[in-house]
Amino acid sequence: MFFAGIDIGSLTAQAVVIKNGKIIGAKTISVLPHPVDSAKEVIDRLLSKQEIKWEDIKCAVSTGYGREKIQQEGLTRENISEISCHGLGAYTINPNIRTVIDIGGQDAKVIKVNQSGKLDNFVMNDKCAAGTGHFLEVMSKTLGVSLDELGPMSRKSRKPVEMSNRCTIYVETEVIHFLQQGVSKIDIAAGINRAMAERVVALARRVEPEKEIMMTGGVAKNVAVKSEIEKTLKVKMVKSKIDPQIMGAYGAALFAQKQEGAK
Amino acid sequence: MITVGCDIGSLFAKAVILDDDELIASKIVRTTGNMADEVDEFLKDVIREAGLSRDRIDCLGGTGAGADILKDAEFVESTLTCVGAASSYYIPETRLSIDIGGQSITSMLLDENGRVLNFMRNDKCASGSGRFLEVMSDKLDVEIEDIDQTVAKSRKTVAISNQCGVFAESEVITHVNNGEQTPDIIAGVCDSVANMVATQGRRFGMAEHYTLTGGVAKINFVTGVIKGKLDGTFHPFPFDPQLAAAIGAALLGD
Repeated sequence: MFFAGIDIGSLTAQAVVIKNGKIIGAKTISVLPHPVDSAKEVIDRLLSKQEIKWEDIKCAVSTGYGREKIQQEGLTRENISEISCHGLGAYTINPNIRTVIDIGGQDAKVIKVNQSGKLDNFVMNDKCAAGTGHFLEVMSKTLGVSLDELGPMSRKSRKPVEMSNRCTIYVETEVIHFLQQGVSKIDIAAGINRAMAERVVALARRVEPEKEIMMTGGVAKNVAVKSEIEKTLKVKMVKSKIDPQIMGAYGAALFAQKQEGAK
Repeated sequence: MITVGCDIGSLFAKAVILDDDELIASKIVRTTGNMADEVDEFLKDVIREAGLSRDRIDCLGGTGAGADILKDAEFVESTLTCVGAASSYYIPETRLSIDIGGQSITSMLLDENGRVLNFMRNDKCASGSGRFLEVMSDKLDVEIEDIDQTVAKSRKTVAISNQCGVFAESEVITHVNNGEQTPDIIAGVCDSVANMVATQGRRFGMAEHYTLTGGVAKINFVTGVIKGKLDGTFHPFPFDPQLAAAIGAALLGD
């Protein structure tokens, strides 16, 4: 039996299909203006590469932005918050996980789960762009490098610049000034990643993170941010076997499977 | 006595020349990355504009975040002291001055001599700052100096629900895509700035008489909304409010 999870974020949409808890297909696309259109598109694109049809999916769950609308449209049977989905997804990959740091395009969440993978506590920042994926996006644009390069390049830095501001708008001005002064992009990138990690750590400390941490969401792909967080929190993050960006959709698919089992 | 006051702010550099307490010349330029090299020329320009020569200047006072580039300044004072001095000198009854600059909002409580008794500053977050206004008006392709003219054409206010400048920027784009009119969105942006300022003023503690200074106070629509939200009597700064700190620096040199 096949189950599906659909996660619509602020910048990307993901769909995952699972069978017996194992991922058999996953797809990420850039979002369309309307979440229902994003959901349809990501499903189409995912299934076009599979031998299964949408009718073969026993149950689907939506999560993320517009998850209710997707359910109302009849695409999914249920909608579940992305907090629970990331929690269950990470826990299923490694049951030792007790804390999940999920940083998306427009918000950051630190989620704590108990020994059975259920949501215990969480904190979220969706008010300020600093410490979210949006921050990195603005900075990579200002620096003139791709978002994918930002992490790897900063590992070569010997002297990361120190940002004196937190606000994304002010840091942007600071980055421009560094560039004007001829500071190397490598050192600026390292400073950007460090500033980003600082905001995430400040958020995480509000829930007293456990040692068993996994990072999910798009920003988890930035190696420098990840290692800065590890250094400051003095932890070694648990590696995800799957693309951290599809964790929400994976968790949603797991919920879909659970639902069917409960019947 | 002829004194020069120069305020190197985060976004703009301002210079004024006072003959005693009379403003005889002023100049405002965008702060650049190599302001240190350009500041001498900038000061020469304003002195020339006043029809004077350098030797006629009795004192140069500096202020602002970048005041350390003013090598010839006789003294450097904080913007707090300067704005307080200028507000109190021209509006003696004022006890509260709210300065809305490029990268900060500062409320200051003044005694009867214009000395700052206490202050509250937000320079951590761009919401409510001149930079916030700039980012939004840039997106809408409206010049800062044309904001009042543009808002005059608005029929409603499109509320901006995000405080964060970066998120508000996305929101502005969404409003444009949804077919909202530029004057209505700009009205919403000004409203958001005014709300941030009024909130700080109220939290800090209102005074019976207050004034607004800094570049953002030039926008009548913003000051109008702030006035509506604050108790006390508003006294407009008698010169361009963006010059307040520079004027204060010049007054302190007298």
